[in-house]
This record gives sequence, structure tokens and C-alpha cells, in this order.
Amino acid sequence: MPMRIPMHRYKYTKLTPEQIGRALRATENGPTSVSPFTNALTGRTLKIVTKDGPVLEYSFGSNRRLTLSENGGPSVSAGYGELTLNRIVFFSHMIPGEQKGYNVVIDQDTNLATVFEVWMSSGIVQNAGTPNEFTLDDREVQRQIYFGYVDVGQEPPERLHHYTNRIAGKGLYWKQDTGIETLEFYASVANTNFVELTRHVDNLSWVAPSDYVLVDDHTFVYDRTEVEFSGIHTCFVADLFKCEQVGVRLGFNENDELEYYMFRGAGRVVGQLAYLEPFDEHGIVPLFAQQNPNPPKGARVTYRPVRTFRWMSDEEVHAAAERRTAAFQSGPSGVPQVVPSGHNLPFSDILVGKEFTLRFDHGGPVRDYRVKDKFKLEYRDHSENVWREVDYRAYEGDDNLAWFSHILPESKPRASVQVAVDFTNGLATSIESHMGTPYYGNETTYRAVFGVVEMDGIEPPLYERHQFTDELVGHAFSWSYSDQLTSMHLYTTPHSMSWTIFTANQTMGSQWCSPCIYVKLRDGVYLFCQNEEACNGAQMIALINTKISHDCGFSFRGGADGVTLSTTGGIGRHIGKFETREFFGPKRGVQA
Amino acid sequence: MTKTLDPHESPNERSVDNGRRSFFFKLGAGVSTALASTAAIAAPGGADDPALRLALLEEERALRKLHEAFERALDGGAYDEVVEMFAEDAEVVFNNGVFAHRSRGISRLYRERFRAGKTGRRIEPAPGFELDAERRQDRVVVSADRQSAEAVFPYSIQVGTPIETETSLADMARLHGDGVRTWWEGGVYRVSYRKDAVDGRWRIARLEYDTLARADYRPGRTYALPITVAPISTTYPQDPQGADALVRNV
Repeated sequence: MPMRIPMHRYKYTKLTPEQIGRALRATENGPTSVSPFTNALTGRTLKIVTKDGPVLEYSFGSNRRLTLSENGGPSVSAGYGELTLNRIVFFSHMIPGEQKGYNVVIDQDTNLATVFEVWMSSGIVQNAGTPNEFTLDDREVQRQIYFGYVDVGQEPPERLHHYTNRIAGKGLYWKQDTGIETLEFYASVANTNFVELTRHVDNLSWVAPSDYVLVDDHTFVYDRTEVEFSGIHTCFVADLFKCEQVGVRLGFNENDELEYYMFRGAGRVVGQLAYLEPFDEHGIVPLFAQQNPNPPKGARVTYRPVRTFRWMSDEEVHAAAERRTAAFQSGPSGVPQVVPSGHNLPFSDILVGKEFTLRFDHGGPVRDYRVKDKFKLEYRDHSENVWREVDYRAYEGDDNLAWFSHILPESKPRASVQVAVDFTNGLATSIESHMGTPYYGNETTYRAVFGVVEMDGIEPPLYERHQFTDELVGHAFSWSYSDQLTSMHLYTTPHSMSWTIFTANQTMGSQWCSPCIYVKLRDGVYLFCQNEEACNGAQMIALINTKISHDCGFSFRGGADGVTLSTTGGIGRHIGKFETREFFGPKRGVQA
Repeated sequence: MTKTLDPHESPNERSVDNGRRSFFFKLGAGVSTALASTAAIAAPGGADDPALRLALLEEERALRKLHEAFERALDGGAYDEVVEMFAEDAEVVFNNGVFAHRSRGISRLYRERFRAGKTGRRIEPAPGFELDAERRQDRVVVSADRQSAEAVFPYSIQVGTPIETETSLADMARLHGDGVRTWWEGGVYRVSYRKDAVDGRWRIARLEYDTLARADYRPGRTYALPITVAPISTTYPQDPQGADALVRNV
């Protein structure tokens, strides 16, 4: 059965090294494969010399067994699997009695090799010596990549396989011989944003640290490890001429079942994002080695937000909200923000002088508004029939389209609204936001409600409404909130997105993901809302106007320091689009 | 409690040009021949003493090498090396903050504040903000007894401070060494040196960043805009990276 609980909410078992060791005994005969194994290496002996890594001497028998001597040490016997792709041989094996193994890619034409050492129960400590110190889960597969060659007595080659940014920005659909289908967006040199089309029911996208290795202009080697999730590792070599892959999957799934199998797959390129790094930057030095030329074994750039996100109860958060609920107070002394910061759109007086009622459908809220000031308004919610004065900030997100937000005072849990009012078409959408999810008191929950604006001179429609949309799906925009803080949003699926942070030279670097919603207000004008779930709980609610490549909006969050509502917005660049909408939507019951 | 300096002891007033000690040797930037000053003539031994002239040239060269090493270490982010170039009782004046003692305030300034802000990397002057020719001159003045010296060197560096956001963006950027708001600063270092009594090596006894201009600029950009940076206004330990004293209360 496909997984239903989102990966960032799933409580993966903390498998012990002993449990892992017992399970790995099943790997002693090598991986399984739906496709028949190939026999390119049968009967051969190979000596693989790697740069800064091991010397591996292999002897391949005819019974899918090999013997291996590492660095001249004693030989061990192990089962292995082998699949070829064109002239590339990919083989994988574990070492009996140890929690490690190798995935090896050999180009039989050039004799160049890329070796992945993989292992579990690493004991790797992160943030050592700091209050945020933690040890990586034993189930998380580690990897170390070595570049080398098959020693056939020749002079060592001058050029080896190497890390690359040539795959950056590419998106592929893959279908394995197992029937597993994925969308993989390589929208970073250090991560993958991937969608499990068959393993998960909701088609959400997830982020996993990755490596990209260039074999030649149409062949690359790839891996990703689902850290902070199951810890499972996928590694393959792909030919982009034919869009075919052969690879291996190793690790424990959400049911703690060991997966160790090789696969063939075929797919197609679904798009390419622009990459913005300098033209002479080729990604030879991986991100994990740029700050430290001698990175420790297994190093990778991995965002692990939940490790430092402090859980708070609903009551704790509300107590904090009672102490401090702040709207638009951005200064160090809580000075009200009257000028937008960074690259945000200017605040607008579009509401000043207006009195109107917002009536949302299906028993949704009804609120009257009286606005006499650019920064303060009065509203009356019909459920309590009390006029309240609150601070607000508004933008004109499109012509005669107001986009504003304010706190709902005295609410429990503390709540706010972000409201788009289309005074031309008489339509309104409110994002109703409040503190707390079933998982954290210091996360927010949001929902969109659709309705109309009632005001003198406006005849609101009876049936037409703003609505959820998938028009943004597949698109990527960079958003520069200031000259020194830019994030690329990739709108991956109808219900999720990822964000990627650029490095100093505008290479796409660290990445994370979340569920989200999209609402269409007008052609080219959308609402986008996401919460950084299992991350820091902050909610972003933005109006995206693709006609001016700008967004503007609000941030709502709460924690030990209270609840805050603030503003955000940035200049956008359209980075590209993946053609993926056909992959989404209900599938079961659809005729083939 | 915030400590402030007597305004009459402000770093500018203690600069090389207003020094109280008699100096007799000054060199302009790039000048390889010693030019005797008025003070030099009055100094014991006089500037006419070839042996002394040679000795002073050697000291001057050593000080220039020390400063080059200082800038190189800053440029490479080798803040530990930078700190070791100071005398134990040294002080640094940076953006209104006075950081005292090598193992305390100066260590805090470079190992924590500078490292967090990626501060100190040499970058070209922001376009339109280049120092005038006079300001670009460096100057090394060695005392008659060759136990102390004062110098002025121009600088053009990147300064920064970590970006704080309510979202994940800055934390994620810091994973690859970014997440820092940077700008350009240009000015002159006003440095006092003292020879260590134990090992005879020159140490920095006092260093002031006399900032003449700041600009929103990063290399590669075609324009720069002047900016104002809030002076350091909080002392340690209230601010874990704070100064030990303030030049003036702000």
C-alpha cells in the first residue's frame, strides 16, 4: 500500500545497529532485481584504484559471487548484482558481517570508475560541542564517493569522473522495472526534489541530499539519501540520450523492511530550469567541500530543521501569545513598520475610505470592514458582533485588487487572516490562519475560504469564485527578498513546493520542502500559502503576480516569544518550468 | 554597565599624526628609500648613522610583512592567526567598539564577530568610493629605540553580519557559508606596534579601523550605494559578541 502519512510527519523507527546488522544478513547474497542481471564481469578480475580512497581488487565468479580485497587486505566473498547500460557496468554488493558495501560504476571504454562506499550505523555526530549536537540515525545510509580507474597496467588517467552542475535544473520522470514511478527535479547541485508517484498517495514532493557525477556529456551518476525520513539510499547511472537508468536501492523503508534491489528504468526529461551560476563554474567542487577542503568522510550539505525545532504545546504557545502578539512591528523596539523592507511591494492605501462586507461561502466567516486609515482598520465578525480596531497592512496586488492582513484579537488559538479582495470582480478569498497543528503548538494551520465582497457599486457574482489552481505547478521562480537573500520556489505538485537557497555565486544549494496551496485570483495572479512544517512552523502567505514578477504578502508565526504577523515580498525571476501537470490528480479508477 | 572612552582619547586623536612620541623615520607607500623626518634629526644617533638607518629599514620591513600577514590572514578567514598577532594587552577599535585583550575582547571580535560576518576579506573599493591618493598612502614610523612603531595602512574590505529571519532561509544559507549580509568598507588602519619583551617579535598593541566610507557593494556589481551601519552600542556580556567598551554612547 502506498504511504499516506507525509514523510516529515512519519515517526520512523530508531533502528539499532544490532537490528540493522541482523537485517543486513539478507544482503549477503547480493541484491535482487526484476530485470535479469547482466554478466559483463563474470570471470573477470579488476583492480580499481581510487583517488584519496581505497584500492579495490575484485574477482567475479560465475555464480554471482565476488571476492574483494580492500587495500591489499584479506579477501571476502559476497553476492553481487550487475546491470549494464550501454558501455557502463554498474554493480553493487554489501560486505558480509559489516554494515557497508560498494556501488561501482565502470565505463568499459575509458576504464574510469566511480565508487560509492555506503554504510549504516555511522555514529556521525553533527554540531559537536554545541547545544544542538545530535547523532545521525543509524538507519541513515551514508555514502562516500571515490573517483578512480580500472588498473590495466596503463598510466593513471589524467582526468577522472567528477562532480558536476550539468544536471542542475533538470527534471526527469522515471519508471522502474519495479513499477515504481518518480518525478525527480535536480534543482540544486546538492539536493533532489522528488515526488513518489506510486509510493505515496498524495504526490507531495520531498527533498533529499544528492550527488551528481559526470561520466560524459550524456551520462551521469546520481544518488540521493532520504535523510530525516527513512534514510534509504538510491543510486543510479543514467543515459540522457535514451533516458534510461540502472541502479540500486538500499535501506529501510517506512515499514522497517530492508530494500536492497537493483533496477532498470526508463523515463523522459520533463523540463529544465535555468541555472544562474557563472558560465565558468562547472560544479567540480561539491558544495560540502567548498567551506572545508578536507571534509570528513560522509560529509554532505543537509538541512535537518526538525532537529533544532523545539516542540511547544498549544497552551504554551497561547500563553506566549497572551504575553505578546505583535503585528507589523519590525523594529528592534517594536516600532511599527510603515515602510516595507527589502524588495517588497509598497504598502497601499487601496482600502482607505472603503466600507464593505466579506461573505464567505458554506457558512464561512462574514466580516464587515470600515477603513479610514492606511495602517488601522475596524472590522466586525458576525459571529461576535463586536467592532474591533486592528493594525493592518495592505498591498495593491493587481489593479483594484487589495491584499491585506491582520490579527484576530483575543482569538484562541491566536489567529490571523490574509485577505484578497477583488473590487473589480466582487470576489474575495481569505486565508484563515491560526496557531497549532496536530503535531506542534508552534506551527500554524491555514485554510482558504472563498466568497464575495459586498459594497456599494459592486454586484458580486453568485457562482463565480476564486479557486484552487494547478497553474503554477511545474514553475520555478527565484524570489529576492533583499539583494542578499534569494530563495527559489519550485511549485512541484498541486499540494507541495520546495525552496532552494542560492550560494554566493548563485549556484542552487540547500533545499527543503513543504505542503502548500495555490489559489487563482486572476490570470497571472495567485495566492500561495505554505507552512514550514516540521521545520520552524512559520507560515508564508504571498500574492504572486506573474505579470510583474513580484510577490508580496505576510508571515505568521508563533513561539516562545509570542505570535507575530509581519510582511514579506520579493522581486521574482521566472527560472523555468517542468511539464508535469499530467502526473497529478486522482489516478485510481482511471482507464489506461 | 557600558563603559565609554574619554573623548580626548578617541582613536583619531591618538593617531599617527598626533602621536606624542618622537619618531624619526617615515616612509611613504612604495618608497624604498628612507626619508628622515625632523624628529629623526633630533633623535639620538641621528638619521645619518648608516647602521641605525639600516636597522630601522629592517624594522620597517618587518612591520610591513607583519601587516601583510595580518591582511592575508583576514582575507583567508584565518582569524586564529590574526588574534595571535596582537599583544596580550592590546585593543582594537572597530565601529565604535573597543575590544580589549588578546584572549578576551580581541578574540571575541575576530573569532566570533568577524567569523560570523565573514568580515575582513579584501575586496576592491566600491566604484565611486575609492580613497583619494593621500588616503591610499601608507606610512610606518619606527621609534628611536626600535621598541615601538606606529603605522597607517589603507584598507578595503568586506564587512558583514549574519542575516536574521523568521524563516528557514538564513539557516539554510549558512549551511553553505552564506546567510550573511555583507557590504564594503574602506578606510585606514591606524596601528600601534610594540616589540615583545620576551621573544623580540613585533606585536600589534593597538589597531583602529578608521572607516572613511561604507557602501552596499559586492565585487562584480556595477554600482554601489552609500549605507549607514549602526555603530556597536552594546557591550559584552550583554551582547555575546559585544565590545568591552564603547568609544561613545549611542
